[in-house]
Amino acid sequence: MNRQQVREVVLHLLHEIVPEAPVHEVPKDADLCDTLLLDSLDFLNFVVAVHDTFHVDVPQADYPELMTLGGCVDYLTRPYERRP
Amino acid sequence: MPENSSLYLAATIELERAVTWLTEANAQRRAPDRLLMPALFLRAVTHGLRDVPELNAPTTDDHGRLTGAVHLGVVVMKRTGASVVAVLPDAERRSVDDLMKVLRELVRRARSDQLRVADLREPTFTVTNLGSLGVQAVFPSIGPSLVGAVGFGKVVEQPTAAGGVVVCGPVVTATLAADHTVGSHRGARFLATIDRVLQRPEAL
Repeated sequence: MNRQQVREVVLHLLHEIVPEAPVHEVPKDADLCDTLLLDSLDFLNFVVAVHDTFHVDVPQADYPELMTLGGCVDYLTRPYERRP
Repeated sequence: MPENSSLYLAATIELERAVTWLTEANAQRRAPDRLLMPALFLRAVTHGLRDVPELNAPTTDDHGRLTGAVHLGVVVMKRTGASVVAVLPDAERRSVDDLMKVLRELVRRARSDQLRVADLREPTFTVTNLGSLGVQAVFPSIGPSLVGAVGFGKVVEQPTAAGGVVVCGPVVTATLAADHTVGSHRGARFLATIDRVLQRPEAL
């Protein structure tokens, strides 16, 4: 998956959690929780959706990396870029 | 303060042990199995209702016998500002892990307008948790035909004195609203049970 594809999947997962929010308009460096009004339950649901979709188990210590859309794309693209 | 025949009691509960336990437990868990503080609160509420069953609205089975079932109505705030009471059935029989999974699914369904008919059944007691809105104490209203409701505010760092020493740690304010017939003594016992079980999170 390239960065654009990862970004689309992340936006889709966010849309499923906050259907009424304009997720496609979220700036890439804006705090997702502040912008989309995600509480801790929503954020955990997002991390679980990432786990189920990308097969990546994000440890709690890495949560700060998922706080922005850009951060999510960087974090979730990394495994693909490592591959030869 | 609201003016009616309800009784309101509040208690500040120290959460140092609960927060530490959660952090350590979650470090060992995969994302789908991780716990959040609200699941510990719900489990503590079921302990409180076991000690003070008078707070739980009675339910009967098909033969008219009292069941003692606890159907927890969870007040879910939606982003539109509206709130909905989604019901977590048979909470008294569920472990913390089970409560967490059901709560997570319930909130997801409520916020994406996918609640099922069963999610909207009549609760026997309600729980409001407005911590995410930054509210320190919630004075919940008691639903029709219910006897009580509890509210949890935001978990905040606060200094407390113990043994002549002031220490800073996380606390939450739990507020019980109950029909006046329940009485202050029982209400206080309910909050005391919640406090006690949250001091031993590993045993929840």
